[in-house]
Amino acid sequence: MSDSRLRMAVPKGALFDGTVALLAQAGIDVGALAEPGRQLIIDTAEMRFIICKPTDIPAYIAYGAADVAVSGADVLAEAALDVVELLDLGFGRCRFVVAEREGAAEEVARSYSRLGVIRVATKYPRIAEAYFASRGVQVELMKLHGNIELAPLVGLADQVVDITATGTTLRENGLRIVDEVMDSSARFIANPVSMRIDAQRVTGLAERLGRAAAQA
Amino acid sequence: MRPVTPRGFRDVLFEEAAERRVVTAAVAEVFGRYAYRFVETPAVEEYATLEAALGASVSGAAFRLVDLDGSLLALRPEMTLPIARLAASRLGGESGPQRLCYSADVYREHASLRGESRQFAQLGVELLGANGPASDAEVVAVLVDALRAAGLADFTVGVGTVAVLRALIDAAAAGAEWADALMAAAHARNLVAFDVLSVAPGVPEAVGSALRRVVRIAGGREAIDACREAAGSAGCAGALDALEAAWDLLEAAGVAERVRVDFGILRSFDYYTGLIVEAYAPGLGLPLGGGGRYDDLLAAFGAPMPAAGFALSLERVMIALAAQGVEVPVRGLDALVGGDPLECARECARLRASGWRVQASAASDPNVLRDEAQAAGASYRLVAGACVMLRVFDGMTVTRDPLPTPPTLASSPAKGGCDV
Repeated sequence: MSDSRLRMAVPKGALFDGTVALLAQAGIDVGALAEPGRQLIIDTAEMRFIICKPTDIPAYIAYGAADVAVSGADVLAEAALDVVELLDLGFGRCRFVVAEREGAAEEVARSYSRLGVIRVATKYPRIAEAYFASRGVQVELMKLHGNIELAPLVGLADQVVDITATGTTLRENGLRIVDEVMDSSARFIANPVSMRIDAQRVTGLAERLGRAAAQA
Repeated sequence: MRPVTPRGFRDVLFEEAAERRVVTAAVAEVFGRYAYRFVETPAVEEYATLEAALGASVSGAAFRLVDLDGSLLALRPEMTLPIARLAASRLGGESGPQRLCYSADVYREHASLRGESRQFAQLGVELLGANGPASDAEVVAVLVDALRAAGLADFTVGVGTVAVLRALIDAAAAGAEWADALMAAAHARNLVAFDVLSVAPGVPEAVGSALRRVVRIAGGREAIDACREAAGSAGCAGALDALEAAWDLLEAAGVAERVRVDFGILRSFDYYTGLIVEAYAPGLGLPLGGGGRYDDLLAAFGAPMPAAGFALSLERVMIALAAQGVEVPVRGLDALVGGDPLECARECARLRASGWRVQASAASDPNVLRDEAQAAGASYRLVAGACVMLRVFDGMTVTRDPLPTPPTLASSPAKGGCDV
């Protein structure tokens, strides 16, 4: 809606600070967004910021509840909703990896040859499914909501598919990375209709953020 | 047990149903004015028919059924394929362009908990056996006029062409795998991946930079010039000339004010070959509808023939109307008639024969009748056998000889002479 503020969904959590810093770097008035307290909607003269749970952002954008957003590429791949991916913002880098218990390789191989299936725990079933399907490996996927690295340690799963920035958490829990699934970073995304009928503001903001990201 | 509808299906009740009928009739009237003729097709098609034309992309979208013969069937996920199938199997002998239109429900499978319906009402047209700027422009003009007739105060129709992207892909000559990846990125609207692919090894730099530029070009007629400058040498000059000619026709027809050229429109069905079109309303995050030219689709059914068309989602048009505060003129009740049962039956019949919408009441007491008429939203009330009618809202008397125009008809805004 060209007569009102551009609505931007901002993910809380790991990408929040990077997003606010990038907006400020691009010269956009972030108002109270830097210190939102318990507020979930923050208005400035040109923008309405909506603070959301990161995994919900693709839905906010696909259904037009917000015009633009910052979202991790991992979350976008998992949601598989209709959004326009405009920019790689460069921050929030992490890798999707397959990991298993240190020294468990033989055990996993044996269980695969005997049972024909590996049990995999993940927060990202769609990404994990696509990865194993592309390798022709049969898996039983189990969706967990957090602390994925626990699953192989307690015998809940043979392997995990999870994100990691440095690999420290995995290492400290005695897990070993066995393969890379995909790289992820923060993306600037837009609702497909906002992108078409509010193109000037959407692409204008994309250009400003792109320049700021290139300087960072 | 309290029965419910299956997930993604719903009942439509009175006020909403009436409004949907009014909007459908207004759009159908526009289709008729462009000489499009209604057809109906079965709700189910052979799954193989859909797969032949849509490929693997149909598998996720179609609602599948197995019949007693063991045939795999699918509820139609959209109307273009059934119409193409109909044209290929039934209209082979007809010569000259065919103008077909429909108002039909389509069905799509969705994972649960995404807040999406699995049944949609679509209104659309297909222009078969004709190509060139005139037929492209006609399809766009029908779409603009249909949205105007639906009562939308604000909307935009974006037009583009897939020919530019296809020509640049050919000009790059970077292999089928790269071409598929680029098209996949375009259909997924992933411009990050698209830009990365545009600088892939083996892609000529000029082509790569043209790719990055064209998907970001939008505007009026000048956008076509900008695109020509960026990509005209790649072999899409003819397509751009055709788009410009279509633009001239849209201007002459007085609909260009609603149209915007946009080379970034990337619709996800693979079968488009030229024009692509999408309609948007501000504040609605999903397109109202869309379509384009699909000159190769009928060849998949053994009846090669150029074709173009669009489909509008009735649900989304209704949401946009509500968001824009547009009142859909629905006819209410003209009169409530009570009194002696025989007199009442006679009076009701006389009023109905003159086009009145009349509800009979068992009451004869004027006060009871007044309350009932108010509750039913009737314009008039009368006790059969009396010689005057009373206007409900102020109690004024109106002579019923001769009968006036039905009040709900007289007061409803003219909507192209259509009614339900």
